[in-house]
Amino acid sequence: MALVPYRGRTMPATTLSSLRDEMNDLFSRFWTSATEPFGLAEWSPSLDVSETDEAVVVHAEIPGIDPKELDISVVGDTLTIRGEKGDEAEQSGRTYHRVERRYGSFTRSLVLPAAVEPDQVTATAKQGVLEIRLPKSQESRAKRIEVTGA
Amino acid sequence: MTKPTDVSVENPFEPTEPPESYFVPAADVYETADGLTLLAEMPGVKPDGLTVTVEENVLVLRGDPAAADEAGELLLKEFEVGPFYRAFRLPADYDTQKIDAKLKQGLLTLHLPKSERLKPRRIEVTVDE
Repeated sequence: MALVPYRGRTMPATTLSSLRDEMNDLFSRFWTSATEPFGLAEWSPSLDVSETDEAVVVHAEIPGIDPKELDISVVGDTLTIRGEKGDEAEQSGRTYHRVERRYGSFTRSLVLPAAVEPDQVTATAKQGVLEIRLPKSQESRAKRIEVTGA
Repeated sequence: MTKPTDVSVENPFEPTEPPESYFVPAADVYETADGLTLLAEMPGVKPDGLTVTVEENVLVLRGDPAAADEAGELLLKEFEVGPFYRAFRLPADYDTQKIDAKLKQGLLTLHLPKSERLKPRRIEVTVDE
């Protein structure tokens, strides 16, 4: 006779355990919202990361943020972007009809795919798009190895 | 006449040629004593890529961001670059001839002053003796 998992054998057990699974799932979804992939604050900028032979390039959408308010650091292989989107909504004398922009401070950290030269990292912000260019260190640049034939 | 509190700000409103596919910019709209202010997030849009039109009390925003140079291998993609489009229906109480638009760091700030005829006025009573 084939081995049947205990849960599958009797109806009450199946129903109860699936109920328990659903409750667990509900709680886990409640605590880790899909909009907070890193368990961070309510808002953080969206990032695009690309890698070329020479550099790792990070683009972030930061509309309305003064670039001077950003704090960008590279420690080891981790890039961290910190900043704050000022909450103008708190000012009085305003009747709001729509509040869709999201405010608050944020921190985003990213493990870089390759070793970079921290001294040569540049960051520019244009029209609310931040570009961080992290040149790769000599060791992590792709080297082409010639195969010599006998 | 609509009261200032009846500002109906419509969600994407169809006419006036929206692009084939577009992003709806997040917007804040608030009213102060002197007018209506609209903030819309359009990252990557330069002033020459932005058009703001008002036609029959429908305010249309369209922004075309400069294409980003996507070189190399993409490792993470959380946002896409494409045109922004959004239309708002304005109440008749604002002076659409005097819209002030500023674009700074990808944030569009529009200010619409209240029509002069709606501003509170004090009427002096002259006593005719």
